[in-house]
Amino acid sequence: MKNEKSGSLMAKQRRAGWYYLMPGTVLITIMSFIPIINGFLTSLKTGSSASMKWASPLTYNYTRMFKDALFLRSMGNTFLYLVVEVPIMLILAILLAQLLNNHDLKFKGFFRTCVFLPCATSLVSYSLIFKSLFATDGLVNTVLCKLGILQTHYNFLGNPTSAKIIIILALIWRWTGYNMVFFLAGLQNIDYSVYEAAKIDGANGWQTFWKITVPLLMPTIVMTAIMSINGTLQLFDESVNLTNGGPANATITMSHYIYNNSMGQGVANFGYASALSFVIFVMVAILSFISMKAGDKRD
Amino acid sequence: MKKISRRAFLSVMAAAGAAAALTACGGSSGSSTAASGSASVGGSQPGGHKLTAYAWDKNFNIPALNAAAADYKENVDPEFELEVIEQSGAGDVENAITLAGSAHDYSNLPDIVQFQDHYIQRYVSDYPDAFVPMEGADVDWDGFGKEKLSYSIVDGVHYGVPVDNSTVIFAYRTDLLEQVGKTIDDMTGATWADVTKVGEDVYAKTGKYLFSCSGDNGDLIYIMMQSEGVAEFKDGEPYITENETMHRVCETIVDMAKKNVCYLANSWSDYIDQSIQGDMVAGVVQGNWIIPTMEAVTGNSGKWEITTIPKLDGGEGYASNGGSSLYITANCGNVDLAKSFLAYTFGGSTQTYDNALRDGGVVTTVLKCADSDVYNEGIEFFNNEPIYKQIVEMSENVPIIEQSDYHVRAGVYLTTAVINTINGSNLDDELANAEQQLRFEMGL
Repeated sequence: MKNEKSGSLMAKQRRAGWYYLMPGTVLITIMSFIPIINGFLTSLKTGSSASMKWASPLTYNYTRMFKDALFLRSMGNTFLYLVVEVPIMLILAILLAQLLNNHDLKFKGFFRTCVFLPCATSLVSYSLIFKSLFATDGLVNTVLCKLGILQTHYNFLGNPTSAKIIIILALIWRWTGYNMVFFLAGLQNIDYSVYEAAKIDGANGWQTFWKITVPLLMPTIVMTAIMSINGTLQLFDESVNLTNGGPANATITMSHYIYNNSMGQGVANFGYASALSFVIFVMVAILSFISMKAGDKRD
Repeated sequence: MKKISRRAFLSVMAAAGAAAALTACGGSSGSSTAASGSASVGGSQPGGHKLTAYAWDKNFNIPALNAAAADYKENVDPEFELEVIEQSGAGDVENAITLAGSAHDYSNLPDIVQFQDHYIQRYVSDYPDAFVPMEGADVDWDGFGKEKLSYSIVDGVHYGVPVDNSTVIFAYRTDLLEQVGKTIDDMTGATWADVTKVGEDVYAKTGKYLFSCSGDNGDLIYIMMQSEGVAEFKDGEPYITENETMHRVCETIVDMAKKNVCYLANSWSDYIDQSIQGDMVAGVVQGNWIIPTMEAVTGNSGKWEITTIPKLDGGEGYASNGGSSLYITANCGNVDLAKSFLAYTFGGSTQTYDNALRDGGVVTTVLKCADSDVYNEGIEFFNNEPIYKQIVEMSENVPIIEQSDYHVRAGVYLTTAVINTINGSNLDDELANAEQQLRFEMGL
């Protein structure tokens, strides 16, 4: 009797739990899962967007992309941004967080706001601002010429190497403050007494940083790394607005290439674009998995 | 049990309500972007006097449409109203069509859309039911320039009515040419090699490039190719590596870029805002729709004159680039009114074209309309020459060359090849790459 009664109560409660989950489940199914499945089915089709047919073989779009020189180039560009930009940005963010976490620093709020402020600008507007800054008769060229560093105006966005450097600079400017906020929060969770103990033991600043700050910040570092990897692989606004992928596709990113295949330049190859999107999805998953494993090692 | 079922009912209702609210949001935000936030979305009702149209460029196309609407209202239908829904660029109109076509749902499109000439062939093959042919409309097709009209005829059926005449002009600053001892007549019928020499002198003397082109599309290559009478396509396939003219054209551009004769702009805005309006160039080679852009630099008024395009072996070259036409969509509820409007106005009304020219600088493709007084007036900005008359005359000589759905993509790949060659790689390899990439994309 007793068992049966409590069992039915448990069952009731459990059922209630499921009912609470229902709205979210229904929404995520309609909004995310069904589109994902549809997207995957689309990625197996070819043809014009109005009358798509199953590709033969079904994997045609997936095999095609590894022979597509432009896709491979966009992948190369994206990984270049990833490998160069993410470490620089994260290291800068930790250093800035460390500086701004200093107990003796005055006007802390002001400096923190300054560093965070770039994140308040929209991606399109900051890209356009960088574009005008580095234009052939833009501010940077004018200043460098006036200072005598450059003889003639330099076409920064017209040279493949300098255009890539400018995209990386722009990314660092835009995202360092964002990551710094996470590090600041992480640093504030580290008890000050740990640092005092280290000081008494005779550790210098460098040792404190590497032996205390970095290990204790590891969860934050892993999280910011995953977010940055994810964000960089999906980089779009900068490539479209700052350089439009140019010169000669030297700065095009994977997402930009997907856009060009689906909406840009009169082409509407949704099958191929969906296949490319799935490949990026797999890449993000793999890279996130690796960085999670790498972060977990010490535990 | 009863209690639970009521709770279940409530939660399901809540979920359904939330889902409905969210999907409603998604739906409405989607359609409002397509219509760029305008209140009236979609086509007209049958029997009314109102039409809607998507167009872009408030200094050029939109004054032309307004001129046509005023003309039709004054002379045909006093109750007529045309609502022009301004888009921020041609790409927005094209994306709206792609989206509607892919979804098989044309209900968000207006009655009439305006887009660039190179796309209609592809749209008709991709979305055969998206556009209503102009068959049966009262239009004198023979009155149009043949080259311009060739774009909007698919399998012998007229789909669109041309708006602007996109004949390419080569405009020069005569004051800068004078500094190197040249006149506009020296530049007419010259070879590209001659032009390159003049350009080097101009750059050395004045610090200005002879002309510029945008490095993210294939305009210059197409213009030079068309003026030679050769296309980038042959029998529906890319015609690049085997194409001797293509090699020479690309070599010429590489040479001109290296010698600072041609400024390769990074982007469209660099081309327009910096190179032309920033007064970096002594010349402009582009479809004549570029004229309002040039006229924004008022300080140079009276110093410009226009002529034809040079050719590789000398002689006067003619080309046409980047014009647009008007098309009736499948969503139009009042096809008869739309056809009648387009046929009466852009089909050959002098009043429409005179006002379109006066208000927007839009040049007609209807040859007889160029006889009006407005067309024969001297234009102050161009040293009081009647340039619009000249442009219409030039348009009669533009050679018809093979067009392709992949025209825009071909231009992008070819320009990529040229830029890579300027940066040190081998032109033959780059052209081979471009052809391979293009064939790949065309599924060949």
